[in-house]
Amino acid sequence: MALKVFSIPALPRVNNGAARLLPVATTLLAAVISVLPLQIPGYAALTPVFTLMAAYHWTIYRPDLLPPVALFGIGLAEDLLAGSPMGVNALLLLLTRVAVLGYRRYFVNRNFAFVWTGFTLLAAAAMLGLWGLHCVIDLSLLDFRNAVIRAALTVAMFPLASFMLGRAQRTVMGAG
Amino acid sequence: MIRLSPQMRGAIQRTTLPILVLLSGAIIVLGKADQLLFDSLRTSVTDSVEPVLDALARPLNSVGNVVGRAKLAVTTYQENVRLQAENEKLLQWQQTALSLAADNKELRGLLKAVPDTALSYVTARVIANSGGAFVRMILIDAGSEDHVSRGQAAITGEGLVGRLTEVGNRASRVLLITDLNSRIPVTIESTHAAAVLAGDNSERPRLLYLPAGDAVKVGDRVVTSGEGGVFPPGLPVGVVSATDAVGLRVEPYVELSQLGYVLVADYGLARSLPQPLPPLARPSRRAKSDGDDGAIR
Repeated sequence: MALKVFSIPALPRVNNGAARLLPVATTLLAAVISVLPLQIPGYAALTPVFTLMAAYHWTIYRPDLLPPVALFGIGLAEDLLAGSPMGVNALLLLLTRVAVLGYRRYFVNRNFAFVWTGFTLLAAAAMLGLWGLHCVIDLSLLDFRNAVIRAALTVAMFPLASFMLGRAQRTVMGAG
Repeated sequence: MIRLSPQMRGAIQRTTLPILVLLSGAIIVLGKADQLLFDSLRTSVTDSVEPVLDALARPLNSVGNVVGRAKLAVTTYQENVRLQAENEKLLQWQQTALSLAADNKELRGLLKAVPDTALSYVTARVIANSGGAFVRMILIDAGSEDHVSRGQAAITGEGLVGRLTEVGNRASRVLLITDLNSRIPVTIESTHAAAVLAGDNSERPRLLYLPAGDAVKVGDRVVTSGEGGVFPPGLPVGVVSATDAVGLRVEPYVELSQLGYVLVADYGLARSLPQPLPPLARPSRRAKSDGDDGAIR
């Protein structure tokens, strides 16, 4: 797997312009991918939350390059594209940063299985929170099974996303 | 760049995140309180992203076609047998339909009935779906430049898909019939009972406001009733599929997760829904107008 032991005591300054934009660009790409109309039966209701994967990855490895303002903007953009109530995805991404930033040091130097487990917890909490929030916003009880399956799919897709992000990180930013 | 002292910079960095979290919460509340606030922002963002989504949707469409063709190649023999049988049945129906159409025309002439307005269609490609965001909607690449307007019906060859809710210049949003906020006036074809098809984010929307004691059975066809004059009447919607604790459920004819193209039906007469008016602060004039009932004196 791509993300083995990375020792990042202090985050080295990245001077390459393209490298500085990589986290924001990939998270934005994740938002666009999540609304793509793949003609798979039932897919639209169960799309994995790709932006969550990207936000998790970058908040662990390069939180300086995916600042809260960027998360806010990308979250709003995703809301506008997907038609969900404004602010929901922005809140989700920002709370992801809050949750991950505090425990970052436990994940940075660990192997992938550990990172994946952490993501599982995050995804579970995120989908539960999203479901609850939508129930409150729409004032009706929505299907919880849907949220569970979606969370499972998100967790299942994480290794692929993490691999690609790690590859991109290593290619564009070097060992940073 | 404004030169900030390290303390200032640190303070800003520490407070940015909580402030943005609160701001998101405020936006959620605001968006729910005033539905129109972000509509124009939403349509302009959709319009600007439309070229990107369009470009991405094309190869996906082709992939979908290839997969469909591969599936077809595997089941060719059975498909062939099935299609031949269906063809024979349909040819018989065609004869019946032609004679019924002739009868219909004659009877309408006798009754001097008002002719149905003609339907014209705008074909649009699906460029995005809702991404699992607890809403059921799709984006299509037709906008006001393509002469579609808000409230028009989106259909496919099989049946009703949804209704256009936001129309930008180049792209529009279609609320699917399965969405929580979707309410379509429908009729049960066999009994002519009027009802409302209400989505609840599940695969099978419910029928509301059916007259009690109405003999609706599983398998009855549900079509649009055309009430309000915005939707064409008689569009196939689905079949009554089950009765559960909540009520009757309808299985839509259209496979909503596999939409590649939709047709937007223009029911003529430009009778599209007007934009919802923002709430006005109206001074109370009710008391005064009581004496004025419009009677001719």
